[in-house]
Amino acid sequence: MKIFVDQVKCQNHGLCAISSPDHFELDADGELRYQESFDEENIDEIEDAIDSCPLQAIALNRDSA
Amino acid sequence: MTGSAPLIGIVGSGIAGLRAANALLKCGVDARIVILGDEAHRTYSRPGLTKKRYPPPDGIEAATEGLKVPGVENTALTWHLDTRVETADLRDRVLRLSTGDTLAYDRLVIASGVRPRTSAEGDRECAVHAHRTLRGLDDARSIHQELQKSKKVTIAGAGFVACELASLAKEYGCEVVMLEALRHGPFERILGTTTARSLRSWIARNGVTFLTGDAARNMLCDGAGRLAKDASGSKDAYLEPASDRSLYIEAIGSVPNVEWLRGNGLDLSDGVRVDEYMRVSECEDVFAAGDIARYPDPWTSESHTRMEFWKNAIDTGDLAGKSLASSLGYDAKISRIKYFPNMVTEVFGLRIQIAGNPKISDSMEIVRGDLERPDHGVVVKYLREGAMVGAAYLDRGARLNSLYIELLTALRAR
Ligand SMILES: Cc1cc2nc3c(=O)[nH]c(=O)nc-3n(C[C@H](O)[C@H](O)[C@H](O)COP(=O)(O)OP(=O)(O)OC[C@H]3O[C@@H](n4cnc5c(N)ncnc54)[C@H](O)[C@@H]3O)c2cc1C
Ligand code: SF4
Repeated sequence: MKIFVDQVKCQNHGLCAISSPDHFELDADGELRYQESFDEENIDEIEDAIDSCPLQAIALNRDSA
Repeated sequence: MTGSAPLIGIVGSGIAGLRAANALLKCGVDARIVILGDEAHRTYSRPGLTKKRYPPPDGIEAATEGLKVPGVENTALTWHLDTRVETADLRDRVLRLSTGDTLAYDRLVIASGVRPRTSAEGDRECAVHAHRTLRGLDDARSIHQELQKSKKVTIAGAGFVACELASLAKEYGCEVVMLEALRHGPFERILGTTTARSLRSWIARNGVTFLTGDAARNMLCDGAGRLAKDASGSKDAYLEPASDRSLYIEAIGSVPNVEWLRGNGLDLSDGVRVDEYMRVSECEDVFAAGDIARYPDPWTSESHTRMEFWKNAIDTGDLAGKSLASSLGYDAKISRIKYFPNMVTEVFGLRIQIAGNPKISDSMEIVRGDLERPDHGVVVKYLREGAMVGAAYLDRGARLNSLYIELLTALRAR
């Protein structure tokens, strides 16, 4: 399972980075950087990040390994 | 309970209603789940309505596509859209619908949200302005279309929706006037006067005429094409009807949609009061969630709070669904609400983040930066009796973002 952020929807608001700072962060220009892979044990944090995004830009791609 | 599988009615097809339904499904509840909504659309991203311009070529349809939320296609739910619940009889468990039908339920979730407050009731059209408010997708569609054509826009209010709209209107090339008669600038009630002033000058620097106090009061339109009374209380002045009616948008707060619940002995003074598990105390088979729910404030032990944020609607919706499942005997891990308020908006390229509950603070402290130059980055701490209760971050980029997240980690662990 991998994290996927829709760059067209994302407005770099950074709420995901507050929910899950280990997987999402904003760089100095305010652009979102994120890690696609994560450990299953962090799933709650990731789901919290997905819910936090007011633009609904984050999804989990269940098909990718 | 009627028959074997109970019927769960959810009033409101917004995110809180949808999340309550999803939580019920996740708990494996064997029930018919009916979502009733007076809008014609299934759940969509409401915050998305003011975040972006609708690009002209593909226009409205493409923009709508971007507002999709996960879970709306779920066929395990029964949707009654375009259907308003007119009244509820909570004792006999019956809803009376705008279609003329009734619906008998076994358990009820109240998720009917809020609507924009307006200064005048009834027909708000006047000869001078085209009056608008913004809550739903249909409102957004017409406002975006008018902004594309409009030259002059007046926005009453200086909250999130007002500021995002001002930013959007400028992007569409409109001339924008903002009116905030009661306060000194945006978000003053949350962030205090100093920060509000800083935001006001930021907006003014971006070409918006931002009026406060009497100057604003004298330009407010009460919907009858009449200027509101000035401070001295002298006679009303009437505006001349204009040939090109400018757009007048009111974004001055909201009113909970509770009218359909009247007559049931609930406390409806500001939304629907629930306990920390989203249960309506007066009726054991009724739950409430989202913008309408007033729950025990995890930030100040003595009071109840209502939050109008997307994540709050998600968290309280989930919890209402789980509490309901548990009331039916299902194993649902429920824990009392511990919502962490956390909000972001962008106004003329300035990112504004707010977390915790700065509203209850008694002092503030600049951690980094200068409120005179918010675009260079400012982090502010809000304190109550010396302890941090909230934080705010303004910046054009995200240079201080890690510092802000550090603060929030401390705030969360509080
Ligand atoms: C323009 C705008 C921008 C926003 N931006 C942000 C943001 O950036 N970040 C953020 O966190 N929050 C934002 N918000 C707030 C956020 O959208 C709300 O907190 C959230 O959508 C509330 O969800 P809800 O399900 O409680 O209520 P709603 O989404 O209001 O859903 C309630 C539904 O119930 C319907 N209804 C009401 N009465 C009845 C009845 N009697 N019968 C049937 N149906 C009924 C309503 O029409 C509505 O469709 C924004 C809001 C707006 C309007
Ligand atoms: S919260 Fe959403 S919009 Fe904001 S940076 Fe994360 S993905 Fe992008």
